[in-house]
Amino acid sequence: MFFKIISLFIAIILLFFIIKSVFAINMESPIFKIQYGEVGIAGGKKSSTNYNISDTVGQTAAGQFNSNGYIVKAGFQYLYSIIPFRFSISNTNINFGTLVPNSPQTSTTNLTVSFGAAGQYQVTAIEEGKLRTFDEVNNIPDTQCDGGTNTCNENLAKPWTLNSAYGFGYNMSGDDIPSDFINNTYFRPFPNRLENESPSIIMTSTNVGKNRQSTMSFKVNISPIQPAGKYQTIINFVATPSF
Amino acid sequence: MQNKNLKLKVKKIFIFILFFLLLFILFFYKTKKNYAQQFSLSLSPPLIETIIKPGKSILIAYTLINYGDPTILTAKVLPFEPKNNFGQIKIKEEFEGPIRFILDNANFNLGQDFFLKTNDREQILLRIRVPEKTPEGDYYYTLLVNSQPQLSQEEKSASFAKATIGSNILITVTQTGKIDIKPKIAIFDVLPRLRFSFLGKTINFFDSTDLIPLVLIVENKGNNLIKPEGNIILKGNLNEKAEFIILPQNILSQSQRLVSATPSATINCPSSSKINACKNPVSLIISGFFLGFYQLSTSLVFGENSPQISASTSFFAFPIKIFFALIFIILITIFIIRKFKDE
Repeated sequence: MFFKIISLFIAIILLFFIIKSVFAINMESPIFKIQYGEVGIAGGKKSSTNYNISDTVGQTAAGQFNSNGYIVKAGFQYLYSIIPFRFSISNTNINFGTLVPNSPQTSTTNLTVSFGAAGQYQVTAIEEGKLRTFDEVNNIPDTQCDGGTNTCNENLAKPWTLNSAYGFGYNMSGDDIPSDFINNTYFRPFPNRLENESPSIIMTSTNVGKNRQSTMSFKVNISPIQPAGKYQTIINFVATPSF
Repeated sequence: MQNKNLKLKVKKIFIFILFFLLLFILFFYKTKKNYAQQFSLSLSPPLIETIIKPGKSILIAYTLINYGDPTILTAKVLPFEPKNNFGQIKIKEEFEGPIRFILDNANFNLGQDFFLKTNDREQILLRIRVPEKTPEGDYYYTLLVNSQPQLSQEEKSASFAKATIGSNILITVTQTGKIDIKPKIAIFDVLPRLRFSFLGKTINFFDSTDLIPLVLIVENKGNNLIKPEGNIILKGNLNEKAEFIILPQNILSQSQRLVSATPSATINCPSSSKINACKNPVSLIISGFFLGFYQLSTSLVFGENSPQISASTSFFAFPIKIFFALIFIILITIFIIRKFKDE
């Protein structure tokens, strides 16, 4: 009897732990309810007297519907993408710890773009100002890499290996990265929005891509005369599919 | 009696150990790993194209799913323009243009924060309104959904990622439904190993085993976006023929675009590669063993009743690597034979 109770108890625990939750797709708000003809991710057809819309997303067939001369198409009709456009950053808090002069600090994050069968995309990056203290009195300059012939800029990576070369920059490795990141010693500074610079494209593919992943390595090296303090900035990543 | 008590005691200990083991396993099975703050959003559909009359409005339902950590998000719409020939875009900093966008969602609007839990989804109901008297032409926008960076209070230096995901909206405003189609083939050429002029003609030369990279850039001189349909045909001197279908990608008004064709070979390009096909994006890479003269041609149309445009190019292929290898082998053989004869 005792064994049976224990067995039943274990079975119940297992049942609750192992069975996963099932969620239904709720496509309504207090003022709207949009009905879908199929269970898919944003798939389906929407229409009114003024327009029609057809999605390739989540469907096996794509259509183009005309109504009174007006057309709306959604998704890449020629690619029949099932998986929507997805962008991931593995770590959004890139911590450098306590900065020590002439001792470069590095930290990494992974960027992933999933695009199913669909193709072209781009990921851009720009800093919302230099790495700076909260009172904005002190800042760490953007890197120029090793300088001389190895001077990098926002669109050209160059080696940054000298401990006497100071600043803040990044290296890229992995899929669909700019070709000037030859190896892990090549760095670029981020473009700065406060200086009206344009975002740099850090990942792009003109061919069909799926689950494309790259690693961004951040590097900071400060000089002995850099005032002590907590230096922070925001890096803005924008992932967009092509047109 | 004592034996029975002992047996029961052993059983109880056994059950206790079993129960403990089970809890131990369940703990490791269900306890989630502790990761850094993660962002992961999906947005669909990735592209909206519409041809619309002034005075009308449409409602687009986007699905936004948060696969990352719970986050505060904001949606906005900004105009964009093509950045180059490769389908890349440049999003403008400020909103401009006559098209009006609002959200029909009850709980938030454009520019207002909303919260999304892990694995939660939100339907973004974007209403696009084209006011009366909007000039005919194309208007290009991107719906952007961005996260709010979570700044740390720790006494450490750090940078914080603000992540944004977008979906493009291509709007053609027309009163009559007529589209301005003015296409032109700007470039249709191979990227050869060698190129030289002979009797006033340019000859593109490849080794027989080379991959053939082909570039097709189409220019849109009209005021509306166009979508090429057609093919690229490769014809050999022995009447062999291969056909490659062109992807109907949008070419925005007053711009050029490198058009892709499929199927094509893929090429693995290390950063240090000096292969032509790796230096710049190409429309098509053709693989095979080529020998002699080959002609490549393309013909494109842009929907019903549109003009057909075409272009052609050619190349010559010779097994130069094999040829030099054979000469080298022959020379070595002759040298060895002579040496043996002398001895």
